[in-house]
Amino acid sequence: MLDIFNVYLPIAEMQFNALILVAIGFSVGVLGGFFGVGGAWVVTPALNIFGFPMAYAIGTDLAHIFGKSIVATAKHRKMGNVDMKLGLLSIVGSVIGVEIGAQNVMWLTRLGIAGPVVRYLYMVLLFGLGIYMLYDYATKDKRAAAQAAKVAEAARAELAPPARKSWNLPPMMHFPTSGITISFWTVSGVFLFTGWLSGLLGVGGGFIRMPALIYLIGCPTAIAVGTDLFSVLFSGAYGCFTYGIKGRVEIIAAVLMLCGAAIGAQIGVTAVKYIRGYGIRLLFAIMIILAGSSVALKQFNLTTAASWVVMCAALGMCLVIMVKLWNGFKKEQAEKAAYAGKGGA
Amino acid sequence: MKRLLVIISNLILLSGPSTLVWAAAEKAEALQKKIDVTKLSGINYFFASWYNDNMWLYAIIVTVLMGVVGMLIALVADIILKMIGMETHKIEHHE
Repeated sequence: MLDIFNVYLPIAEMQFNALILVAIGFSVGVLGGFFGVGGAWVVTPALNIFGFPMAYAIGTDLAHIFGKSIVATAKHRKMGNVDMKLGLLSIVGSVIGVEIGAQNVMWLTRLGIAGPVVRYLYMVLLFGLGIYMLYDYATKDKRAAAQAAKVAEAARAELAPPARKSWNLPPMMHFPTSGITISFWTVSGVFLFTGWLSGLLGVGGGFIRMPALIYLIGCPTAIAVGTDLFSVLFSGAYGCFTYGIKGRVEIIAAVLMLCGAAIGAQIGVTAVKYIRGYGIRLLFAIMIILAGSSVALKQFNLTTAASWVVMCAALGMCLVIMVKLWNGFKKEQAEKAAYAGKGGA
Repeated sequence: MKRLLVIISNLILLSGPSTLVWAAAEKAEALQKKIDVTKLSGINYFFASWYNDNMWLYAIIVTVLMGVVGMLIALVADIILKMIGMETHKIEHHE
């Protein structure tokens, strides 16, 4: 019955269901817009499950990520969630870091241990980051209470509240959008490190940069999401072009995925408006733990199960985000109606 | 505990060769192929011809097309969302 949606893909020279491409694009668009990631780790296995040729999967994915990032970044910018200065600095730091990471991979390959090192590092990172973010979420109230008690105690003793410890080596940089003043060396070091990790792991790096922006640089969550997407836009454009030269982009499939992703990204970005920062962090933590489980399954050669885990996780998370968006929207409408009612009376 | 460690170590060592294959398989090299355009028409013919003739131009077309389609969809979707009352504006950042 779904055969009516089959389209001919001229570069891959095969028939493929357009509905599947739009659906994959849509779900990864929601996740990308909401979490500020490219989502290649979802798209590639998903395409693979449905029989899309692997030769074109990564290139086609990167092409649609570029288009989708434009949609999502534009919307985040409207919402005041993109710190351009920080984003541009992240691109410079990341490019250098990626090169160092790529050189390290070549060195590890010469030693014959690149595969296991990369795969285990990937798992440690996903699980470690996910568990830390869950812990951070679980203890947020306790930490807020402790901080409030410290401030109250300082006020009673007529002292200044305790300063937040940080490394203040000049030159200091001010980022008005994020509302932070931080050492240039700290920012550069963080982006160099996240770039190095993405070069070493062979991934776009959105899922590493987003928590780094929150926990290491101190950005508000929504700004971390928007700024990360701004960086993804540039890496996506470069990826689209370079894979295009290599003949690995199936253009019709990329456009179809982009149609779904662009709509999904709008939904994902709008959802950020209705969910508080810690809510985004919690959902992100769950998502990367599930992605880590998928990598672990792949490690034990359970490739199909690994692909299904990551795809089901993506679809489930997509559903959660849409429900949260709908609830937030309804609540906002009800508040508006109540306000209008009071004004009328 | 010791037994568990032995099992884990074995699994790690066993999975080594397969992961090396996986790492090697991820390198992207240019595809050396020509598409048969005799059965194609319209937009498919257009893209396939560029793919065969000049890969650099094909890459530029792909990149520009993705950017333009992305911006167009963003514009249209924004109008639709505004119509249903989901307009976006600067938000307060609550943690």
